[in-house]
Formats: sequence, C-alpha cells, structure tokens
Amino acid sequence: MFEQVFFSGLALGSIYGLVALGFAVIFKATDVFNFAQGMFVVCGAYLAVTAMSLLQLPFPLAIVFIVGAAALLGVLIHMVLIQPLSGRPMLSVIMLTIALSIALRSLIEIVFGPQGRSLTTPLPTGVLMLGSVRISYLHLTAALVSWVCMAGFGLFFRFTSVGLLMRASADNHEAAVVSGINVNTMNRLAWAIGSTLAAVGGLFLGQLQIASTELEGIGLLALPAVVIGGMQSIPGAIVGGLLVGIIEQMASTYISPKSSDIVIYVLLLLILMVRPWGLFGQRELGRV
Amino acid sequence: MNTVLDIQHLSVAYNRKGLALEDVSLQVPQGGIVALLGANGAGKSTLIRAVTGLLDLHHGKITDGRVHMSGQIVSGMPAHSLVRMGMGQVPEGRLVFKHLSVEDNLLVGAAVLPRAQVKAGLQAVYQLFPRLLERRNQAAGWMSGGEQQMLALGRAMIAKPKLLMVDELSLGLAPLIVIEIYKQLRVIGETMGTAMLIVEQNAHLALSFAHSAYLLQQGRVVLSGTAQEVLASPEMKVSYLGEAKAGKGTT
Amino acid sequence: MNQTAVASNKPVNGLWFVFWVAILVYLPTLLTERTLFGIPLTNTQLLNLGLTQINLMLISMLGALSLNYLTGCAGLISIGHAAFFATGAMAAAIFDNQLGLPFPLVLLAAALAGALAGTLAGLPSLRVRGLYFVLSTLAVHYVVTYIFLEYQFKFFDVVGIPYATPQIGSIEINTPVRWYALLLPLVILVYVGLKASLKSREGRAILAMRDHELAATAMGVDVRILRLKAFGLSSAIASVAGALFAYYLSNVTSEAFNINFAIQFIAMIIIGGMGSLPGSLVGAAIWLLLPSIIGGLSPDASSENAFLSKLLVENRAQLVQLIFSILVIVFLIFAPGGVAGLGTSLKNRWTAWRNTP
Repeated sequence: MFEQVFFSGLALGSIYGLVALGFAVIFKATDVFNFAQGMFVVCGAYLAVTAMSLLQLPFPLAIVFIVGAAALLGVLIHMVLIQPLSGRPMLSVIMLTIALSIALRSLIEIVFGPQGRSLTTPLPTGVLMLGSVRISYLHLTAALVSWVCMAGFGLFFRFTSVGLLMRASADNHEAAVVSGINVNTMNRLAWAIGSTLAAVGGLFLGQLQIASTELEGIGLLALPAVVIGGMQSIPGAIVGGLLVGIIEQMASTYISPKSSDIVIYVLLLLILMVRPWGLFGQRELGRV
Repeated sequence: MNTVLDIQHLSVAYNRKGLALEDVSLQVPQGGIVALLGANGAGKSTLIRAVTGLLDLHHGKITDGRVHMSGQIVSGMPAHSLVRMGMGQVPEGRLVFKHLSVEDNLLVGAAVLPRAQVKAGLQAVYQLFPRLLERRNQAAGWMSGGEQQMLALGRAMIAKPKLLMVDELSLGLAPLIVIEIYKQLRVIGETMGTAMLIVEQNAHLALSFAHSAYLLQQGRVVLSGTAQEVLASPEMKVSYLGEAKAGKGTT
Repeated sequence: MNQTAVASNKPVNGLWFVFWVAILVYLPTLLTERTLFGIPLTNTQLLNLGLTQINLMLISMLGALSLNYLTGCAGLISIGHAAFFATGAMAAAIFDNQLGLPFPLVLLAAALAGALAGTLAGLPSLRVRGLYFVLSTLAVHYVVTYIFLEYQFKFFDVVGIPYATPQIGSIEINTPVRWYALLLPLVILVYVGLKASLKSREGRAILAMRDHELAATAMGVDVRILRLKAFGLSSAIASVAGALFAYYLSNVTSEAFNINFAIQFIAMIIIGGMGSLPGSLVGAAIWLLLPSIIGGLSPDASSENAFLSKLLVENRAQLVQLIFSILVIVFLIFAPGGVAGLGTSLKNRWTAWRNTP
C-alpha cells in the first residue's frame, strides 16, 4: 500500500515538478512571481480540449498546437503586461499576475462554460502491475514525458548558446545588456518556456482528472514547491515538485483528503521560518 | 570613415532634472585612444550611457545632438544592437556574471561571433590574460577585483570590436594591477587597432596612456586636445586643485 | 499656502461637511422608500442599488481600510487577509453561539482574537521579508481557513455556522436601516481612528518604516515591534468586520473566506490607491457597487443583441470578474496610484490652473 501511494505521489510529483520548473524559469529570468502559473496549467488543459474535441486534430498536430499556443500566450503576456511593469514595486507585479489569473479564469468559463470538460487523448490508459503495485499507464506516461521535458530543458539551459544567454540574463540584467544580449527576447523566451511547461502539465492533469478551472488549485501548488526546493534553483524546483507530489498523496491517504493542501502549506511556513532559501537555494537570498 | 566615434552637440537630461550634458562634441579617430576626464558629477557616466545605449535604464533622455559610429547614426539605438555593430563595453563596476564560470562569461561575449571563430577568440583572450586561463572553470564571482576587470575586458574584446568603451577601470583596484591592465590595453590598441574611449578618475594615468583627452565640467566640454596639451593646461590644474580643496569630493 | 487661500477654504469646507452629512443621513430613506422628496424613482435611476449593497460596502470598507493600513501604510504585503475575517467569524461563533455573550462583547472578543491572530501571523516578518513574507501570509491563510473548516464541521454543520440576529441592549439589528445605523458610524470611527493613528508619533514611524526601513531603524524605531503592532491592529479591524459579515449573512461556511475573498480587498486598495485611507473607501465602493450598476444596465441591452444578452444573463458573474480583473490590470499599468493618485494629480492641475495669472 505504501509503495502504491509513493508511486502515484512520484508520478503526480513529476507533473508538479514540470509546472514548478516553468515557474522557476520565469522567476529566475524576470523576477516575477507568477501567480497565474496555475491558470497556465488550466489553459493547457483547455487547449488540449480545443485541439482534440473542437478542432479534431490528429494527436501529433494537437501537441504542436498546444505547445505553440501556450508559447504564444506566454510571449504575449510578457509583452503586454509584464514588460510595462518592469521596475515597479512587488505588490503591483504580484497583483498583476493574480488579476491575470482571474481574467483568464473568467474568460475560459465564459467560452467553455463553468463545468469541466472531459479530455480524451490517444494516450495509453490501463494499468500495469509491478508486483503488488498498480501503476496506471497514464501516470507512467505523464511522469516519463515530464522527466523528458525537464531533462530536455536542463540540457538546453546548460549546453546551448541560447541557454547560456538566458543564464547570463538571469544572473545580471545590466551585465547582459552591456554584453550585447537582447534581454527582452530572453525574457519572452523564459515566459514562453514557463507557460509551455505548465500547459504540458495541464494536458496530463486534464486527462488524469478533468479539464476544469479547478485545476488551478493544483497548479498553484507549484508555488510552495518552488519555495521548498529553493527559489533560484532550477533543480530545486524539480525536487520541490516531487516532494510536494509525494507529501500530497501521503497526506491524502493517511490523514484525510482535505488535509493535503494544509500539510503542504504548513511545511511551507516551516521552511520559511527555518530555511527560507529552500533545500537547494543559496543563502544570499534568505532575506529578500 | 576616419572617425570611429563622432558625438555632435549632445545634450542629455534625466527625469525632471536639468541638463546633465550640454552641447558636448567629441571625436575618437580610428585607432585613437581618447581619455574622458572630469570630477564626480561632471557628466562622464552620462556621456558613456548616452553613447552605449544605457540611458533608458537610468531614466535619461537625449534632448539634442547625435552620436555616430563609423558614419552611422547610433544615438537612441538599444545597447545590444550597438554591441553587435562593433561597440565593446567594459562598464563601471565590471559587471561580470558572478554565477557563471570565467569561460562562460567569455562565451557570452563571443555569442556575436560566428561559431568557427569562437575557439580562436577564446585563445586570444587567454593569451592576453593568462590568469583567466588558470581560472577558466571557476565562478567569476569568486575572483579578485583585478581578475574580474580582466574578465570584463576579455569579454568585451573577444568580439573584436571597432570601438572599446572603458568606464572607470581603476576604481577599487590596487595601483599595480591597474598599471598591468593598462599595459594590456596598450597592447590591444597597438596590435588590433581598436579605438578606445576611456573614462578615468586618475587623470595622470589616463593622460600617460591616451593620445588625446577631453575634460568635462558640469556637463560641458571645457578643454580638449592632445594628452600633453591637456596635461599642461591651467584648467587641469584648476580642476585638480578644485578637487583637492573640496576634499576630493565623494565617491 | 497664503492666508487668503486658507481663509477662503474654511466656509467651503464647512459646506462640504454639512452636504455629506445630509447625504449620509438621507441615504437609507432614499434607498428604502425609493422616492426623492416624494418623487418615485425607478430602479435604473437609483443605479440598481439598495441598502443591502450599501451595507455590504460598509463592511468591505472596514476590510479595505484595515488592509490598506497594513499594506499601503506599513508596507507589509499580505494576501492572507481573509484569514482574519474568518478569525472574527469564528470568534463570533464561539462567544455568541457557544458562550452566549452579548453582541458588543462579542465584537470586542473578535477584535482581541484578531489582534492575537494578526500578531502571530506577523511573526514570520521577523525572519523573512519581501516575497518570502508574502508567501508566509498565503500559508497563514490556508492554515486559518483550515482551522475554521474543522471548527465548523466539529461544532456545527456542513451547511455552515448559523448566527443569531445581533442585539444591542434591547434593540434588534434586523432591518437594513438598522444595520446601516450600526455600520456607518463604525466605518467613520475606524477611518478617523486610523487617520489619527497615522498622524501620531507611532503612526509616522510606521510610514517611515515603509519608506525607508534602514533610516527608521537609525532613528531609533524598533521596526520589528512596529510591524507586529501594525499587523495586530489591522487584523483586529478585519476580525470585527468578519464577525459583522457573519452576522449579516446569518450563515457562513469556510468557503466564504477563500483566497478570492482576500484578493478582492487587494483589488480594492489598488483601485482606490495604496496608502490612501480615502482611497480605500473609494475602492470598496467601486468594487461593491459597480456589479449592481452593471447588472442594472443589462435588461436594456438585452433586446438589441442576443449574444450580449446571453453573456450578461448566463455568465454575469464571470463577466463582472473579467471586467474587474481587466480594470485592476489597467489601473496597475496606467494609474498605479489608484483613484486617489488620479485625484491628487487632478487637484494639482486644478490648483496650477487657478494660480496661473
């Protein structure tokens, strides 16, 4: 039984890790705490619904559609909303992303209706038995794809020229400008990546559960995940996501389903009081 | 064109404050090394920002005049475009990427180069500054001030710029290190023919290194000429005495 | 300001004061009778407003004032404000439903409970600042609302906690007019109190702390204690507002205090103007009254455009939310000082125009 809970926690945690990674990329690049990340997940789920049910696209094309649309959304949001507010006080930026999430939520509910929509994709369903542990193929696929995306991003970030420029921009904005980097382009790229990763998470969560605006709550768990892992740390965000997934499943099973959120937030409070820079973060950012 | 940098009647103002620069004209000829001198607040940083496209970042605006680089109008262009056009920048405070390795820092500067030339570019910088080669995989933030300055210089030079803008190289560095770096700058100037505009607090050091100089006072050019002329001029003495009287001003 | 200007302002100020008092006193009659000096007014003419909206607006004003005091004046960004409303509601449940204390004492108990909760919630500020502190307020929100949920389930019902009609002495507060008579003086009291508090030595220290913490510390201000005090006061007010809210609705569940509830108050102070007490009032007014006004407009539009009418009828709530979130975004980008900021710049232009020869 324990292994069961652990594995589904790991699978869900992989998705959280993906969403948290997207969040961390946005934060590292533009210093924006994107409260709308949860809604990006929802957008991903509804983009999938649009592609599969409304447009009836073949699955590979649907993936292209989802990724493209999500990336475009991220870029537009940066251009229209985030860039004008650069340099403004933190509450303004926080409130902007919160207002954005509300706007997206109401827009989606107006277009698609407040009820959720079921999402069917050719992704494998069915169950795999590993000893006494039941693992659903969907969970497995979700985890696998999440890991591939995270690894892919890691490789991109570390080993490509563009990834280097992104790291440089995140390191020191003015130095990047002086070195010939178009920081605006880097920031837009960060937002495109952040929203795309969230959208992929939404694609899976939408099928694991249902495509609805309620998914936002799950997407928002990326916030404590990133803090627990360490806000400025890319691997930290991933580990944070995994931890949150496992703890959530454990709490849900062994304590009560309602308590899973609260356990995570209490943990968040503890980390903030004891080790604010997270498990993998660096001390210099402890007192922001 | 013979002039690499041509500043014509430039005036600059910051948000709601008066003019920080008024009617400044300045030329840097090809292969020339020009020193920009003046006390704190005279407008040196403002001039550099106006030329390097960083005014926006500091809430400033060009109100009059033009900046040309190799005959092209560049005033108002964003900084990253200028770098691609051949303007290398060594900013005040060095501004290295602290969490990236030395080699990564250089690779950032080399991003404008075609792939094939990157390796050669790296080798050239390492030859110039062997200490950087020793520390190539270390995080730049852990290096000493002098090493960081060399890194900033290397990062700017690796793209083989036509014009190098150096802002307050000597700040916070030990005199011996400063002299060593200036020696390397001279080597660069002689071998690569890079034109340079040097902002430098230490007027004597700058004048022993540059070909010509401009003296700024309260946003205006009050003196210009060859290095020897400027060194011997009465205005320089006044400027220096003025600084000494006021207790060398604030940082 | 020259002497003549000051002298000429006094009678004008006096007139404004009388005018506003007259309006505030006449308002309940206007809205209940729906007539103006005997002439009946239509719903649209009264902007589709009733005393219910006004009363809810007054309760929200308490929330907006307390949040603006905390965030706009003391500089402590908090998105957990709903938690203190919940604290007040819970205190009211404990001290009224369970312990049977009289209403005024219940409110007092709510204030104390809120102050305690606020001080506790402010403790993370001793350890972390900025973004991390905001996150701690989010965590506090979830913890407190969870406690409320558990309390509700344990002692009451899934449906919610019921609240009896409040009574002051022998007077029952069971009509909108009586609620208005209770809430309006309370709002005025809190407004005047906060304004006076900000003018006091401690209040000015709080403002200094917001603007330049280092300088304030150098002047001998203990910022840590000051922060906790600000949190305590703000939460006490919010807690009282929460208790009143619970009594007003006569039944609340933990859902009433979800994160959206907290976000609304932030929206109010952004629209009204951060750090501006009058702005808090304006922001709360806009936020509470505008949906009713929009709703009042819709029947006229429906006949023309089928699509628009479908939008307005079926998705009214979402449409209002969409409009409001866009409104907040527009304010954030173009008018960061809120309505108060716009008001100040308008006033400056007016004075400048008047003073040009």
